[in-house]
Amino acid sequence: MAEELVLDIKNLVVHYVTEDADVHAVNGIDIAIGKKRTLGLVGETGAGKTTTALSILNLVPNPPGVIKSGEIYLEGKDVLKMSPSDLEKMRGNDVAMIFQDPMTALNPVMTVGDQIGESIAIHQNLSKKDAFEKAKEMLKMVGIAESRAYDYPHQFSGGMKQRVVIAIALACSPQLLIADEPTTALDVTIQAQVLELMKQLIRDKEMSMLLITHDLGVVAEVCEDVAVMYAGRIVEKGTVDDVFNHMRHPYTEGLFDSLPNLKERGEELVPIKGLMPDPSDLPPGCAFAPRCPYAADVCSKGVPPLTAVDGSPTHFVACSAYSNPEFSLRGNKDGR
Amino acid sequence: MAGKTILEVQNLTKFFNTPGGQLHAVDGVSFTIEEGRTLGIVGESGCGKSTTGRTILKLLEPTGGKILFDGQDITGYTRKQMRPLRQEMQMVFQDPFSSLDPRQTVMQLISEPITEHKLLKSKSDIEDRTLELMRTVGLADRYMNVYPHELDGGRRQRIGIARALAVNPKLIVCDEPVSALDVSIQAQILNLLKKLQADLGLTYIFITHDLSVVKYFSDDIAVMYLGQMVEKAPSDLLFQNPLHPYTKALLSAIPLPVVGKEKPKRQLIRGEITSPVNLPDECRFWKRCDCTQDKCRNGNPGLREVEPNHFVACSCV
Repeated sequence: MAEELVLDIKNLVVHYVTEDADVHAVNGIDIAIGKKRTLGLVGETGAGKTTTALSILNLVPNPPGVIKSGEIYLEGKDVLKMSPSDLEKMRGNDVAMIFQDPMTALNPVMTVGDQIGESIAIHQNLSKKDAFEKAKEMLKMVGIAESRAYDYPHQFSGGMKQRVVIAIALACSPQLLIADEPTTALDVTIQAQVLELMKQLIRDKEMSMLLITHDLGVVAEVCEDVAVMYAGRIVEKGTVDDVFNHMRHPYTEGLFDSLPNLKERGEELVPIKGLMPDPSDLPPGCAFAPRCPYAADVCSKGVPPLTAVDGSPTHFVACSAYSNPEFSLRGNKDGR
Repeated sequence: MAGKTILEVQNLTKFFNTPGGQLHAVDGVSFTIEEGRTLGIVGESGCGKSTTGRTILKLLEPTGGKILFDGQDITGYTRKQMRPLRQEMQMVFQDPFSSLDPRQTVMQLISEPITEHKLLKSKSDIEDRTLELMRTVGLADRYMNVYPHELDGGRRQRIGIARALAVNPKLIVCDEPVSALDVSIQAQILNLLKKLQADLGLTYIFITHDLSVVKYFSDDIAVMYLGQMVEKAPSDLLFQNPLHPYTKALLSAIPLPVVGKEKPKRQLIRGEITSPVNLPDECRFWKRCDCTQDKCRNGNPGLREVEPNHFVACSCV
């Protein structure tokens, strides 16, 4: 993947500094997204997914959030070194974000047409009237009748609101779309519709996307690449085929085993024992070691770096167990 | 397994009066559950699945129909008459963040149903029982005096389950008990609920929007749409041979965590659930359905048994 990168995050570290504790939300991650690629960032609550996304827009609430170190390049420019006015130009124009909850992301006292038109008017220097016309086109693109541009958010259902949010995000044809759990608040049939729409728009507009989700099914549906995040670090990344069919990290395996299988019924689920560690008090070494069924002594000595799997150019795993060449996951033995 | 029927619901309705007209939240739902089994009720937001659960427990007054619990018709029971029955039927709520009193400790929360129903008198008995319940649901003794905000969602949900178990119920209505939890924690809670069922012979009504969870968990599944059951069958049968167009769409809408292997083709359904206010007498799904025929608009198809134990409400099947 030596092609042009739309997003290149290098060694990002974000802490939330409070009076009581120093919360290590993101602990040195590297993410790169190429042109027209879609990366899924997967992890459970508190893994640092959303903090990573907010960092890209330099929107981490400060205080208490502090970007301790790292570089975030958007098409070659470091976001963390941009001036406030450059940031304003970038947000919404080069990079747009879709938030999880469409119910609260919209302004209740503005018509949806005005809300979509707002960013168009600002970034493309159009008059309000022209922007509104463009907003109508955007609505049509996401499958809502143009006449509804005059309606207010409360007149729309959840799925429709999320379509409006997508229209706002895509209004200025950004290079990169960040979608933070875009369908989590929606019903499955509506989720299927919205995912289908997002897939099609991304293809048509030749955008790249960072999709944040906890749902492995959604990743399989939409993404080409996937990164699994745990306690502020990426523990495994690769193409979806690498990670879904040849998984290497015990946490990734744990996530898959926890899912109720639609084909088999009745047998006991295999949950991951214990809980995610407190990010203000991470264990030394691998953060997953205390929950890991394969944990050995080496695991508590130093954080394992992301290492290529068998020299693969795409597939990386951060697990000390692979220092033993004999090691393999249970699931990989019986061929998943 | 011809077990004893513990709950029978006949033609249950629950309407709400709204300024726009009558809202049909539950509209003619019937089913029976045998002791020790699990009925899963699936559907999307607004289909009336939670209202069904609450009405069965008489947390909401039914508008019509009959609820027979253990042979007794409890439909017309007053709150006072319901009180002893509350020990028999309990509920586990969706959101472990808002369903627990933040000012009570774990001990107080779990012992509350015991003292409320005067099951035990002496303080030490109550404490012993509470500790026993905590162990049953997998909460360590050291959490006895902590407050819910100090615990994560999974442990809070365990408190909710312990509260429900405290009175030795026969039937537990679980309303989306795992949907607020992360998958790894979700699996822990599902395993716990399953183990409790095996150990204590509990009967569950399992309300959820998540079909993979319901398949894993239930013996029988009822699919609801706009206040009515559109399909009901044993779990395996429903997944192998879904007949109602809505069930098919619902099943194919689940994003499967599978890459590179053959996946069933997606059947997207158009549009969204229609308003449950002032419903006309027609199939409630036809506007979103592909096989629109005239008969779909003439009268509401009731549930019919199309093969043994497999009930479908569709004129075209």
